Amino acid sequence: MKTETCTLPSSLHTMPHWLRRTCQTLWLINIVGLPFVALAVFFFSLANAHAETARSPLVTLDEVKSGTLLLKSSDAGRYIEAPRVATDVDIVVSGPTARARITQIFTNPSNGWVEAVYAYPLPEDSAVHALKMVVGKRVIIGDIKEKKEAKAIYETAKASGQKASLVEQQRPNLFTNSVANIGPHEQVVVQIDYQEPVRLSGDEFSLRVPLVVAPRYNPAPVTQTADLAADGSGWGTTADPVPDREKITSPVLDPRVNAPVNPVSIKVRLQAGFALGEVKSHHHPVNIETVDAQTQLISLAGDNHADRDFELTWKPQSAKAPAVGLFRETIGSNDYALAYITPPVIEQKQEERPREIVFVIDNSGSMGGTSMNQAKASLDYALSRLKPADRFNVIRFDDTMTSLFQDTVTADRNNISTAREFVGNLEAAGGTEMLAPLEAALDDRRPNDQAFVRQIVLLTDGAIGNEQQLLDTIAAKLGRSRVFMVGIGSAPNNYLMNRAAELGRGTFTSIGSTDQVDERMRNLFAKLESPVITNLSATFSSGNADVTPAILPDLYRGEPLVIAAKLSSLSGTLTVKGMIGSQPWEVTLPVAKAAKGEGLSKLWARRKISDAEVESTLGKISRDEADKRILKLALENSLVSRLTSLVAVDKNVSRSQDKPLTRADVPLNLPAGWDFDTVFGEQTTRKADLENGSDVHLAKLVHSNKPVTIQPAGEQFPLPQTATDAELRMIAGLLMLLASAGLFFFTRKTGKAS
Amino acid sequence: MSAIIVPASWKGRAVIRPAVRAAMAVMALAGLLLFSQGIWIHAKAILAQVLLDRAFTQSIQTGEPVKPWSWADTWPVARIEFPRIGESAIALHGASGQALAFGPGHVDHSAEAGENGTAVYAAHRDTHFAFLKQVQIGDTIRITRRDGKAFTYRVSGKSVVRWDQSGIDTNARGKNLVLATCWPFNATTSGPMRYLVTAEIAE
Repeated sequence: MKTETCTLPSSLHTMPHWLRRTCQTLWLINIVGLPFVALAVFFFSLANAHAETARSPLVTLDEVKSGTLLLKSSDAGRYIEAPRVATDVDIVVSGPTARARITQIFTNPSNGWVEAVYAYPLPEDSAVHALKMVVGKRVIIGDIKEKKEAKAIYETAKASGQKASLVEQQRPNLFTNSVANIGPHEQVVVQIDYQEPVRLSGDEFSLRVPLVVAPRYNPAPVTQTADLAADGSGWGTTADPVPDREKITSPVLDPRVNAPVNPVSIKVRLQAGFALGEVKSHHHPVNIETVDAQTQLISLAGDNHADRDFELTWKPQSAKAPAVGLFRETIGSNDYALAYITPPVIEQKQEERPREIVFVIDNSGSMGGTSMNQAKASLDYALSRLKPADRFNVIRFDDTMTSLFQDTVTADRNNISTAREFVGNLEAAGGTEMLAPLEAALDDRRPNDQAFVRQIVLLTDGAIGNEQQLLDTIAAKLGRSRVFMVGIGSAPNNYLMNRAAELGRGTFTSIGSTDQVDERMRNLFAKLESPVITNLSATFSSGNADVTPAILPDLYRGEPLVIAAKLSSLSGTLTVKGMIGSQPWEVTLPVAKAAKGEGLSKLWARRKISDAEVESTLGKISRDEADKRILKLALENSLVSRLTSLVAVDKNVSRSQDKPLTRADVPLNLPAGWDFDTVFGEQTTRKADLENGSDVHLAKLVHSNKPVTIQPAGEQFPLPQTATDAELRMIAGLLMLLASAGLFFFTRKTGKAS
Repeated sequence: MSAIIVPASWKGRAVIRPAVRAAMAVMALAGLLLFSQGIWIHAKAILAQVLLDRAFTQSIQTGEPVKPWSWADTWPVARIEFPRIGESAIALHGASGQALAFGPGHVDHSAEAGENGTAVYAAHRDTHFAFLKQVQIGDTIRITRRDGKAFTYRVSGKSVVRWDQSGIDTNARGKNLVLATCWPFNATTSGPMRYLVTAEIAE
C-alpha cells in the first residue's frame, strides 16, 4: 500500500528527514499495528461467541455446575433456571370476614433477565382488590384496569425494561402474577390483598387458603362445540373447551426427585367475635397463641411448601354457634350489610320421601394416591347409608365411563354389595372427561316422578380446565335433580365445587384427608336426609336494597343463608322467610343494631359479580349483559375479575434494551398425596398438553449434580459445541510474537538511525 | 501505541525506550503463552487418548467403569474404529466441554451403541474427529462397548445441519449411529453448523 511509495527501511538515512519520519511511522503502523488489529478481531470474535451465553439467562446442560431446577425453553437444547417464589400469607379474621395479604417474593437465580409467571390459587369467593410491588425501597401501588388495557400497560413496561407486575384472574380461584424484568439474582416483592367471607356450616366456622394449583386435565379440542354464523350461511366456528389451556398449565415437579419448592408461611389473627372453643388446622401443624377468650394467633409450624390447602376451623365455646349474625360497613355515602342466618333444625320432621340417588366417582389419574382412597371410603360410607326404599346407581369415570346399572335400582342387599365391590375395585388412571358421566347422571328417566327425591353426589378433585362446560350442562339439564359436590384431595378445585353446587341447588363438602371422611360424610348425609329449606326470600324494610345472591339458594340442614346488601340507610329490619320442609319459617333482624364489620363492600361487589356469572350460565341474561355488569362492578370497587386486572409499573427503567428477557413459568409442587406417575406417566393427553401446550417444558431436578430433563418426542436433538479454540490461540500467539519482533526490529533501527 | 507516535521530536526517548521494551517483553510472553495454550489443547487431546485406551482395555476386562486418571469426571465408554483410514478413538461418557477435550463424547440421552435408536458421538473437528472429512459412504465403523461387545456400522450418509436443528431422532427405528463434529472443518471460530456422519448397523 502506502509503504510502496517509500523505499526500503535500510535506505532510511539517505532520505529527507520528513520522509524518513513518515516512513518510520507507516512502518510502525504496519508491523506493530496490524497484528494488534488482528488480535483485536480475534478477541472480539471470542467475546462474541461467549456473549450470547453471558447475556442470556438460557444455559445448556453442559454449563450447569450444580443441582439447579431447569426448565426447557423454546430454544432447543437451552434451559432456563426456574424462578422461585416464596409466599407469606397474613390473615386477619374479624367476625364474618377475613382480610388477607399475600406477599410473594420472586427470586431469579439465573444470570439473565427474567419474566416470571406464577400461577396460584385464591379462595373462589375472594375479592382481590389491591396490588403493591416493592422494588428496592420503593413501593409501587397497582391500579385496576380493564384486562386488555392492563395487559397492554404491562407489555409496554416489559418491553421498555421497567419492572412491572400484572395480576390476572384465569378462573375465579386461579390467578396468575407476571413479574417482568427481574434482574440476575434479584428479588422482587409483590403484595396482593383480598377479602373473603368466613364459611359457616353447622356450628363450625372455617377458612381455607388454597396454596397450590393442581395440574388440570384439559379435554382435547376433539369434543368441540360448534357455533354457526347468525347470517344463516351455514359456516361457523368451533370452540375449544379450554380456550386458555396454556395459561393454566404450569410445569409440575416430580416430588420423588425434587426437593419441594415455593416455601410458605401463614399467620392468622383470629378475632371470632365470640368466645372460642376448638380451633383446628386440618392439614398443617400450627402454633396457637391465645390472646384473649375471643382472639387467637395461629401460625404454621416448621417448614412448609405450597403443596396442599390450608384449612382452619373454629367453633364457639358454647355448644351452638350463633343462629344469626348481622354486620355493617359504611363506605362513602353507601351502607353495606352482611347477614348470616341459620334456620333452625327441625328434628322430628324427617324427609319422608325415599331418594333416587346417583353417585358419580372420579377415578382419573389425578385422583391417584390418597385421594382415591378418600373417595372410595366416602362412597362406601354413602352406600352403607342407603335405605331399602331408596333407588341408586354408581357411575365411575376417567377418560372413559362405566355405569354400574342401566338405570337406578332398588337399594337391596344384593345391589348394595355389588356396588360396594365395584367401588372397591376402582383404580385411578387416565384423563378426566367429566362431561359425559355428568350428563348420564343428570339424564332423568322419570322427570315427573314426585315419589322420589332425586339427588346426584359427585366425588371428584375437580382438576379440569373446562369448568364452564360442566356448569352450563348442570344449569341446562338440572330438572328435579339436586347436585351435591364432594371435593376430594389436598387441593381440590373449589370454584368448580361451589359453583356446581350452587347451580345444582345442592351443597359442597370437602374431604381433604382420610380421617375427615367419616365426619364430613355423616354431615353430608344428615343434609341429604333432612328436609330442605326452600322458597327463601330476604327483604329489607327500608327499601332500595340491592341484595345478593339474587337467586337465594335452597338450604340444607345446618347451613346458614349468607346475604350481602347495599343499602340506602342502616335502619328498619331484615326479614327472611322460607319453608322448612312443609313448615313456614320467618325471622326478623333489626338492621340498626348490626355490628361493625370490615371489607363488606368488597364482598358485596364480589358476590354481585358471581351473580352475573350465574345468571349468564342459567341463561337469564346474555353474556354481553353479564360482561357489562361485571366490568362496572369490578372497576367501581377495584376488584380483579374475568374482565379486570391489577397492574403496577415501576417508573424507573432497570433493564437496558440490549439485554434479552426470557419468560419462565414458576414450577409448582405436585399437590400432597398425588401420584406423579398416574397423573403424568400414564395420562397421555395431559402429558401432551404439558409438553406441547406451553413453550416451557417439564423438567426435573435431581439431587446429584446432574440436571435431568425430559426430552419430549419429536423435539430437536441439540448437538454440543465441537470446535476447540486451539488454532485461534496459536494464531493469536504467533501474531503477538510477530508484533513484538516487529517492535524490537523497529526500535533497533530507529536507535541506529539517530 | 499512540504514545509512541505522537511525540514528533524524540527528546522523550529516555522515557519511551524502556516502556517500549517492556511492551515488547509483555507481548512476547503473552504470545508464547497463547501459542503454547493452543499446542496444549492438541497435546492434551493426544495424551488423553493414550491414557483412555489403557483405562478402556482395563474396563473391558473388569466390566467396571475405570477412570483414566483419578480426578477425571468421566470415563471411557466405547472404542470407535475406522478400519479403512486406520483411525480410532476412545469415546467418553457425556459430551460436556471438559470431556470433549479428551476424546469423543457419547451424547447424553442418545441410545447406546448396538441398541435400538440412535447413538450419537460428538468430538472436536480439529482433534479427534478431524479425520471425519475423510470418511466416505460405505465405510465401516466398528464400535466396541465397555462390556466388550462389538458392533459394525456402515456409513449411509453425510450431512451438514444447524446444531439446534439436527433432525436426529434418538428413538428412531433400527440401530443407528451419528458422529457429529463442527463444520466447516478449516474454520477457526466456532459456528452453529455441524457435520454429521450417519451410519446403520451392518448385519
